Amino acid sequence: MITELFVHPTSWFILGALLMPFARRLGVQKIWLVVIPLLAMATIYRLPDSFGVVNYLGFELQFGRVDKLTFIFLHVFTLMAVIGSIFALQVKESGQHIAAFLYVAGSLGVTLAGDYLTLFIFWELMAFASTFLIWYRKKKRSIEAGYRYLLVHTAGGLVLLAGIFLLYQSGHDLSFGILSQEGAGWAEYLVMIGFLLNAAAPPIHAWLPDAYPEATVTGAVFMCAFTTKTAVYVLLRAFPGFEVLAIIGACMALYGVAYAVIENDARRILAYHVVSQVGYMVCGVGIGTAMALNGVAAHAYAHIIYKALLFMGAGAVLEMTGRSKLSELGGLYRTMPVTMIFTIIGGIAISGFPLTSGFVSKSMIVAAAGYNHQTVLLVMLILAGVGTFLSVGIKLPYFIWFGKDSGVRATEAPWNMQLAMAMAAFVCILFGVYPAALYNMLPFAAEYHPYYAYHLSETFQLFGFTGLGFYLMVKYLQPHDVSNLDLDWFYRRGSVQFMRFAKGPVTAVNEWVSNVYQSIGLRLTKALARAFSWFDKEGIDWTIDGSARSIVSAGDTVRQIQTGRIQHYIGAAVLAVVVLLLVVFLI
Amino acid sequence: MIARWIDYLRERANIVRGCFFAFLLFAVIFDFVIERPKPHFFGDTIIGFWSLFGLLACLLMIIICKGLSHVWLERKEDPYDH
Repeated sequence: MITELFVHPTSWFILGALLMPFARRLGVQKIWLVVIPLLAMATIYRLPDSFGVVNYLGFELQFGRVDKLTFIFLHVFTLMAVIGSIFALQVKESGQHIAAFLYVAGSLGVTLAGDYLTLFIFWELMAFASTFLIWYRKKKRSIEAGYRYLLVHTAGGLVLLAGIFLLYQSGHDLSFGILSQEGAGWAEYLVMIGFLLNAAAPPIHAWLPDAYPEATVTGAVFMCAFTTKTAVYVLLRAFPGFEVLAIIGACMALYGVAYAVIENDARRILAYHVVSQVGYMVCGVGIGTAMALNGVAAHAYAHIIYKALLFMGAGAVLEMTGRSKLSELGGLYRTMPVTMIFTIIGGIAISGFPLTSGFVSKSMIVAAAGYNHQTVLLVMLILAGVGTFLSVGIKLPYFIWFGKDSGVRATEAPWNMQLAMAMAAFVCILFGVYPAALYNMLPFAAEYHPYYAYHLSETFQLFGFTGLGFYLMVKYLQPHDVSNLDLDWFYRRGSVQFMRFAKGPVTAVNEWVSNVYQSIGLRLTKALARAFSWFDKEGIDWTIDGSARSIVSAGDTVRQIQTGRIQHYIGAAVLAVVVLLLVVFLI
Repeated sequence: MIARWIDYLRERANIVRGCFFAFLLFAVIFDFVIERPKPHFFGDTIIGFWSLFGLLACLLMIIICKGLSHVWLERKEDPYDH
């Protein structure tokens, strides 16, 4: 039983989280942080196809369902846990590590879940655990952002749960598999909305750029990897070929870059790029061909690594300088050159430069749109690629490490942060120069070769001339200390308005009602009470007492009839028999 | 060490700029000589199409996004505090 329990990679992370305080007490927290993800990673290679099937209240829960699609996501999630833990080694607070481990545990649990109920349990664990990664920053803004994050995810979870209930009602056995677009109704679309909220699809995306920049330096590295990509996994599993996803995805890709171009905070720029890049994946799910779905899996893998690398780079700068706004940074190349090189590798990988992972993964989705003759999607995705290179490939590194010298003199990030960045950068370049390492893990059968002359030519031109555009407009792009409104305005303003409404009209009405009650209601009640009291005494008591008196007097009368002499009773009995006989005979 | 290389290049900004324009030229010329696969849409048939697309897309994106930001979306840091 124990051995079977530890077949599930999630168990390692839950055990790791539970024993973290002891590991800290024993002084082996740093070793523990690396050993647990490595053990989990070793586990995924030996998983049986199906395990952990439990019958509970008549439902069959399946904690482990493994195929090639599961494997590639498990692989990148556990690898990311190793890299993220190394990046976080210098954090002494056990609480942060516990939250991160439980978050990873939730994500692996969702990936392995074979039914909707198991999925939902781990889905909520993720939302709950990741909130602490925001709160541990301990600033007022972080605490507020954490509450908003939790509320939005709770709402999303409820939508998902409603969808699951409706599925069950319509006779679905709740096993987690492909849903068909034909005949899809409320149930399917509610589940999809629940998933899309975690994938940060506009208009329900604003939690992401709201929360991630407020998370802890190390927490943001975990968060950018798991929530959205778990959502991509479940979409890929349940909704391949839903056309609406292709449109939503392409819009996401553009929406994210548009905000990334105008934002000032480095981590908020990266957060908007999560929206944009996840847009490519959602679009790929919507296209739904084998090549597109392979592209989604490949891009999710590549994206997790380079996005984490970028968040590590921006996080290292924040850790060492205490700043993350581009308008307050600049000229750091002298003091943090190693971080700069790794971040630029992340930047060119997300842009899809040749010899980086983005080139071999993103192009699969774009090519799939082309092969499927969806020209509008194709052009939207390429346009988003231009914006990506502009904002993360050039703008972000330029204004942090070059640009106007801010006078900030920092030291280079600690060794463990550099090691984690080096590992991620290595993976980015490995996939770029040796795509087979990534393609061999892909779940579907589809042939694709990224390195051909026309693709290279297209990439050279796009990036070269985007660079020219930046060069011409660099003055106009100078960052300012501002932030931009997004759709979270509705619930943030909405809550303020609600509070104002609660404080103003609602309180006034409440007081008025209580005044009316004091002056009229109370008197009326007292008068009514007196009336009832009178009725009770004069009406009910009189009736009851009266009937009691009648019973007593009736009893007296009966007692007087009872003489106790036998001849009276016999006489009465004879009389009765005579009367009875007379009655019988006369009638 | 890396910083010194960068300083060395920054002192010779003209050469870096020259290399960049040379790359742009190379990118366009490269498009003339390569073999083209079956086109997905009309853009794939025009030589140098992606150069123009890249430049225009970049400029338009900057102008439109920055413009929208200036006239509508932009707020002084944290508009929700007040």
